[in-house]
Amino acid sequence: MLDVRVDKQGLAFIAASGGGETGGCATHAFKTRSNEPSYSALPPSNGAQVNQWGKPIQLVDEKDARAGQSLRINNSLAIGTNPDRYKQHGFHFTADNCIACHACEAACSEKNDLPAHISFRSVGYVEGGSYPDFRRVNISMACNHCDDPVCLKGCPTRAYTKFAEYGAVLQDPDICFGCGYCTWVCPYNAPQLDPVKGEVSKCNMCVDRLEVGLKPACVSACLAGALDFGVIETAPANRVQTKLAIPGFPDPEITHPNIRFQQTRDLPREMRRTDSMPLIYVKKEDADKIAYRPHTVDPGRARLWNLGKLRSREDPLVLFTLISQMVIGAFLTLFLGRFAGLNELSAAAHPAAYATLLIGLLALETFALVISTQHLGKPHRFYRAFYNLRYSAVSREVASVAVFYNAMFLYTLLVAVPGLFSWLLPQGLMRGLQTFSGWLAVAAGPVALYAMNRIYRIKARPFWDHWQVLASFYGSMLTLGSLAVAMVYAAVLMAQKEPFAHLLALLAWPMALGLAIEGSGLIVHARDLVRRGGEAAASQLEQRTTFGKTYIARNIGVALGLAFIAALGALQVDGRAGFLAWAVAAALIIATATIGRALFYVLVIPTTMPGAFFWRNKGFEEHARKTGLAKMPQVGILPDAH
Amino acid sequence: MLFGRRIKNPIKIADKGVMTWKYTTCGYCSTGCSIEVGLNRDGKAVTARGVGDAPVNQGKLCIKGIFEHELFNSANRGETPLLRQKNIDPYRKAGWDAALDHTAAEFKRVQEKYGRDSVAIVSTGQILTEEFYTLGKLTRGVIGTNNYDGNTTLCMASAVSGYKRSFGSDGPPGCYDDFDHTECLLAFGSNLPEQHPIIYWRLKMALEKRRFPVIVVDPRVTMFAQMADIHLPITPGTDLVLLNSLAHVILKEELQDRDYINAHTTGFEDFAQLVAQYDPTTSAAICGIDEDTIRHVARLYAKAGAAMTIWTMGINQSTHGSDSVVAINSLNLITGNIGKPGGTSLSITGQCNAMGTREWSSCSGLPGYRALEKEQDRETIAAYWGIDPEFFPKARGMFMTDIFPAMETGQIKALWLIATNPMTSMPNIPRIKKTLQNLEFLVVQDAYADVETTKYAHVYLPAALWGEKEGVFTNTERRVNLVRKVMEPHGDCKSDLWIFNEMAKRFEQGRKIRFPETSAEVFDEMRELSRGRMLDYSGLTHDRIENERGIQWPCPEGAATGAPRLYTDGVFQHADGKAKLIPLPFVDNNERPDQQFPFWLNSGRVVEHFHTRTRTGRIGNVNKFSPTPYMEMNPDSAKELAIGHMTYARLISRRGYAVVLVQLTHRVPHNMVFIPFHFHECVNQLTLGLLDPYSRQPAFKQCAVKIEPATDQLAAAAANVAARSF
Repeated sequence: MLDVRVDKQGLAFIAASGGGETGGCATHAFKTRSNEPSYSALPPSNGAQVNQWGKPIQLVDEKDARAGQSLRINNSLAIGTNPDRYKQHGFHFTADNCIACHACEAACSEKNDLPAHISFRSVGYVEGGSYPDFRRVNISMACNHCDDPVCLKGCPTRAYTKFAEYGAVLQDPDICFGCGYCTWVCPYNAPQLDPVKGEVSKCNMCVDRLEVGLKPACVSACLAGALDFGVIETAPANRVQTKLAIPGFPDPEITHPNIRFQQTRDLPREMRRTDSMPLIYVKKEDADKIAYRPHTVDPGRARLWNLGKLRSREDPLVLFTLISQMVIGAFLTLFLGRFAGLNELSAAAHPAAYATLLIGLLALETFALVISTQHLGKPHRFYRAFYNLRYSAVSREVASVAVFYNAMFLYTLLVAVPGLFSWLLPQGLMRGLQTFSGWLAVAAGPVALYAMNRIYRIKARPFWDHWQVLASFYGSMLTLGSLAVAMVYAAVLMAQKEPFAHLLALLAWPMALGLAIEGSGLIVHARDLVRRGGEAAASQLEQRTTFGKTYIARNIGVALGLAFIAALGALQVDGRAGFLAWAVAAALIIATATIGRALFYVLVIPTTMPGAFFWRNKGFEEHARKTGLAKMPQVGILPDAH
Repeated sequence: MLFGRRIKNPIKIADKGVMTWKYTTCGYCSTGCSIEVGLNRDGKAVTARGVGDAPVNQGKLCIKGIFEHELFNSANRGETPLLRQKNIDPYRKAGWDAALDHTAAEFKRVQEKYGRDSVAIVSTGQILTEEFYTLGKLTRGVIGTNNYDGNTTLCMASAVSGYKRSFGSDGPPGCYDDFDHTECLLAFGSNLPEQHPIIYWRLKMALEKRRFPVIVVDPRVTMFAQMADIHLPITPGTDLVLLNSLAHVILKEELQDRDYINAHTTGFEDFAQLVAQYDPTTSAAICGIDEDTIRHVARLYAKAGAAMTIWTMGINQSTHGSDSVVAINSLNLITGNIGKPGGTSLSITGQCNAMGTREWSSCSGLPGYRALEKEQDRETIAAYWGIDPEFFPKARGMFMTDIFPAMETGQIKALWLIATNPMTSMPNIPRIKKTLQNLEFLVVQDAYADVETTKYAHVYLPAALWGEKEGVFTNTERRVNLVRKVMEPHGDCKSDLWIFNEMAKRFEQGRKIRFPETSAEVFDEMRELSRGRMLDYSGLTHDRIENERGIQWPCPEGAATGAPRLYTDGVFQHADGKAKLIPLPFVDNNERPDQQFPFWLNSGRVVEHFHTRTRTGRIGNVNKFSPTPYMEMNPDSAKELAIGHMTYARLISRRGYAVVLVQLTHRVPHNMVFIPFHFHECVNQLTLGLLDPYSRQPAFKQCAVKIEPATDQLAAAAANVAARSF
């Protein structure tokens, strides 16, 4: 351990070895100085064995194969000698004391050489009361190196590692391809997606400092005795509480974060945010436990369209999901149509149309896959999406979509250009392959959509965490898929001067079913959001106000679409008039679906930490972009959000 | 690795490749932190850290200090001197000789035509002490104008004036160590967490070791007020009433230290008679603090074994700043709390070297705390510099805040501004703009070419920044600390010392006086002139200062350490060796809110910015926390006026108007708004800045405004963006 010496003025320093040598021939990446003040020294554990969730604090045994290894920080082979090296460490934040001086944010940004638009640590606040009985609680937050790191599990490229050393969760920007999924799943806004570099980075627990027995830079910089660090559950000197949450902090049950709080001063019943999130925190005393629950505020907002705000960084995903769902649905319709008695849909009935439609679907899905990679910060690394099948919903979705795509590809080739294979393979084998690939695609498609829906079941995003996502995806599959087949075949049949109304009447059933499923999902979702309160209800408030008129329009679109389909199916009008009517219905349904999917992406309010008035305030970021303030680089907001 | 990859990639953490560290003292506020600037192998400053064994900051830095090394290549540094005949013409680049020749010629022309005092020189609190001394020599000994002052009048003049009136001399008597010994802290109009975060840290560490009551007097609920044991939300402009009332209670309940008063003060009778009128009931009605609390605080303060008061702009920037400082000194004198550990009245200074200008610049007198009024002092300095003592005026001239009106009415025709930005920092900017435009000749010496004041100048001289020149600063607690030269000056910038020396050469009298070229040699002169005086530097050298990370004066030759406190022996600087207790009647001359202008306008600072943002406004990681002007407003008042959170409001005062983004918060009372003063074309468009009669310091925190929502929000936003170039 580190020794402390005291000089003649009473100042205490760490009596460390000058250049940071360890046993062996390796130098540490971080250079301690000879006059390092003692407040930076990592304190020892108080001996606690388990954390407040019962999990052992010692992560691996000293004799474990994973112990005794170098972290290879900046190619240093040095190994830290801290006896607590394999214990989970974490931050301790005394919310009573933080003065929002930004020293922690500045020290971190400086040490990690961050540009102004990125910060690993941010300070925001909640405040309450009425002058002069006013209290502001500042909250400094970086990464909590959670027990259950959802970032690590969610990352498709496995760019994250939870180390046995200190329990640090570290992310490697060299592996990352900038999809930003980790920024979606983290409740604390820890990972930072840099649109300029196209990659994510985040707090690294200053493991280089930990290895030489020093607290992280932010902690060493704190000027108010607020931010501290050590073995988890070991309260720092002069501190008595290790609470799991404070007002403004997301439910710790989501990820079991390794941060503890002291907040002893009495706070007002209601604490407000200064940023644009329509949330307040209301105190509820339960026995001897005090908890603050998030509630929505309703500042009497107007109902607006805000169609312009439907565009976002997620636009490629709007298209990708809709197109994929349509393609899968269309393939199912084509392949399974004959089993439902829709003989016009078989390959034999209209071979040219069948094959062309398949090729069209394939082309569309290829387009969808390509634009989905454009969503990445580094599209050329797209192949890394398969790396985390074990944990990541994204990996699993990519894999299952790939299976569907390849199966459909093979099927399409065999159907459309049999000549490619007929010289190579015997007829029987070709037929067998065709059947196999067809059924594989039929199975893989819905499985892929199920995996796609799992991506959005994120605890930190209550707006998405509902079966409505699955209803919407399967609904789109049924509706858009059968609609696509219906319109193509209606056109084909009409060109051949044959009736199509009866075919479309039958296809109207899956269309209607899809809309009904989606509609019922939306109804239950709206009700559940309000019931859940907090960020969920806040999203619903956004939906009913900021996008209020768009929301109503979409809902009417779904209902109207359903009615329209039912009517057309019943009336069975043929010929030009019928085709025109169906085309109008199709346009309505597609427009509704697109707006609905865009709403799905832009409405999500994550459980983020409260921001300050300027920094980490989405409202100010929008304002700065709109008014041109963001053009000055020292404002720290990129002018283009995408 | 427990999760994730089995074959882990090496960890990459930013490494800036520091090869050497250079010692400096921070160039922002007067806390006086020691900073080591790290240079990489190309000699570029890439990082900075607090000096681990520095007594002031012990390795800590605030946000400004952490990023100070990024200033060297910040945007729009001055590159070359600029020159123009009329201030409506475009500037053209010029060489140093041309610029300096023209400047000197203009000064001489104006002085010949309108008199010696028709040229004014207004400097700052941010250049090195050696440079202040040299400027004083140039101004008093060569150019000879008596209209010579600095922007310290905008922040510290009341403290200086109060100290002189009470103790007979300037010189803060306490030190940061007093936190470790005090048993009661009264903070008057001081917001340590925002203004002096490292001093706040020192206080917090003392409190963690040993609790003592902290009382904060501030109309706003700042973080400091929140952390305090007692917060006194005082009515603006009434500090003197509260102070008189505290003294009233102490005397009434016989809690004063009679022995100390008898031994070390004069004027007790008159003082006691005056404070007798300020009973808590009457005072409560004026200052807004209830009488029970006044009595409680007075008892707490008087009964404490050692009690200390600190203050900053809340006291200084008012029409009763000087009186309030005297009252604080008196409070401490009657309770025997001067010159002992934990017992002091410590003015927390604003700028990194306001102390240096107070000590050595000769603005208010002669170098080394000497006075123009004293014949002996005039003779000593004249002899040392080698000039005729009759060349000196026999009293000081105008303060900065009187110099501007004199320019307005034509008594002063030429102005030399050094490292200060009155276009943003002076009150009543509409008047300032007219004034500057009317000058026959204006020369601006600054590190940044786009500092707003260059708009009306005829000559711009690009000066070197902190860290590009070497010398000393003095901090709040009289600690003289060193700034090493870290980098060569940017472009063709020159140090202020070089500029002053060069200017001197262009005057006949200047060529006769010795103007040493290096700051170490200048320091030698200062050392000699300080020998045996209160601010004794004779034990100091640049190297010793660096080794010991700053040394408090007095440090006579042979002393092992600097002196932590003044007046430890109870001997003051008045002729009779005693401190003065002065009766201070309160007359309310503030521009109070009324029917037409119903809000108090309060101005102040935020931690991420310094002064007029010419430095902090350029560093993204600092500026982003307050990138644009804003106003704290009470939500209840805002609702009545239909003003929303994060919308623009228009403020109107009897001077001008401003448009500002609104932040609704209950930090401010219903009839007050607060705007950080750092931003150009904002709060000082509105302020009155009524002057203190003794210190001539403006009241930045007391005037009245009316507020309405900006009718066109988009236009307001556009105007806001256009108003700032950084």
